[in-house]
Amino acid sequence: MDRIRKLFAQETWSPYLAGGLLGVVGLLAVGLSNHLLGASGGFENVAGILGKAVAPGAFDNMYFNFVMPAAITWNVVLLVGIFFGGTLGALSAKTFRWRSMPDKQWIEAFGPSRAKRWAFAFMGGAVLQYAAGIAGGCTSGLAISGGMLLAPAAFLFIAGMFGSGILTALIIYRARY
Amino acid sequence: MDNLLIALVLGLVFGFLLNKAGLTSYHKIVNVFRLTDMAVLKFMMSGLAVAMIGLYAMRGLGWITFPAVPATYVVGNLLGGLIFGVGMAVSGYCPGTCVAGAGEGKIDYLIPGILGFLTGAAAFGLTYETVFPQISRLAAFGNVTLGQLWNVNSWLLIGVFAVMSLFLFYLIDHGLIRKDRLTSTQ
Repeated sequence: MDRIRKLFAQETWSPYLAGGLLGVVGLLAVGLSNHLLGASGGFENVAGILGKAVAPGAFDNMYFNFVMPAAITWNVVLLVGIFFGGTLGALSAKTFRWRSMPDKQWIEAFGPSRAKRWAFAFMGGAVLQYAAGIAGGCTSGLAISGGMLLAPAAFLFIAGMFGSGILTALIIYRARY
Repeated sequence: MDNLLIALVLGLVFGFLLNKAGLTSYHKIVNVFRLTDMAVLKFMMSGLAVAMIGLYAMRGLGWITFPAVPATYVVGNLLGGLIFGVGMAVSGYCPGTCVAGAGEGKIDYLIPGILGFLTGAAAFGLTYETVFPQISRLAAFGNVTLGQLWNVNSWLLIGVFAVMSLFLFYLIDHGLIRKDRLTSTQ
């Protein structure tokens, strides 16, 4: 019991342990709900709800009516869970803290400007979500959920993601790569 | 309703694990691409190996049926991955880790990050009918698995993946990793 309490209070777990347990979560999603884990899908549903509230005409299309309906779906509830799961993790290790800039390495690469960080955070998010749409899922919904079913799509996605990720990091860090 | 409760609980564990693996930090995500910290790769490959073995075993025992396998359309899967990698290396997150990080009090994840995802989601949904049917038609194989596509036993593929993962983990943990020359890390 004491060991478990210590483990929960630990800030960082072995990625093998955390990853292995994530595999179990992926299994349970299929076993209990016949669903695949996936974070990006929920954003599509929420964007549909917000879009229909703001511009009902434009968002009244096939995509937001049928493909990714504007509704509180399984994936939206999963996103809510992920959010508070992050909170629980931070609270358990007493690392919860409101902060508006990422770790020191960001500052070493891009400088201390918050406007710059927020601009990149926004653009990065938009690019990631559009790319997930084209690919058919994100790191969780395609790479892990597709990969565990042995879908070729997942391995193509992972190859693309690592290829361009490495190239982008090379360009950003140059001499410090 | 029952189903949504399951989604909530699984989401909680998912977010908790992303936090505990440290994947909600900018440097953890970027450094896998700099090949100086392979936690992301270890996390993904461990998860994949466990889930593959479990899923195929449970299906073999007749306990579960598979949900729809994500569709393979080579150009779109690859192109999406290529664009995704750029976004990930710049921002230091992906959709799941951004949401979990927002829950930890990271305001750059919570406000510009989530607004960015919603903007990208709206943009994709609004352009879906012109963009997606074109891309998903190219080199399309449908909802297949590798086993079906190559006509080999899935357990052979799972075995290869598991051995490959263990070998890679061994190499990473025994020195096959680049030394980080940045002053800010560790």
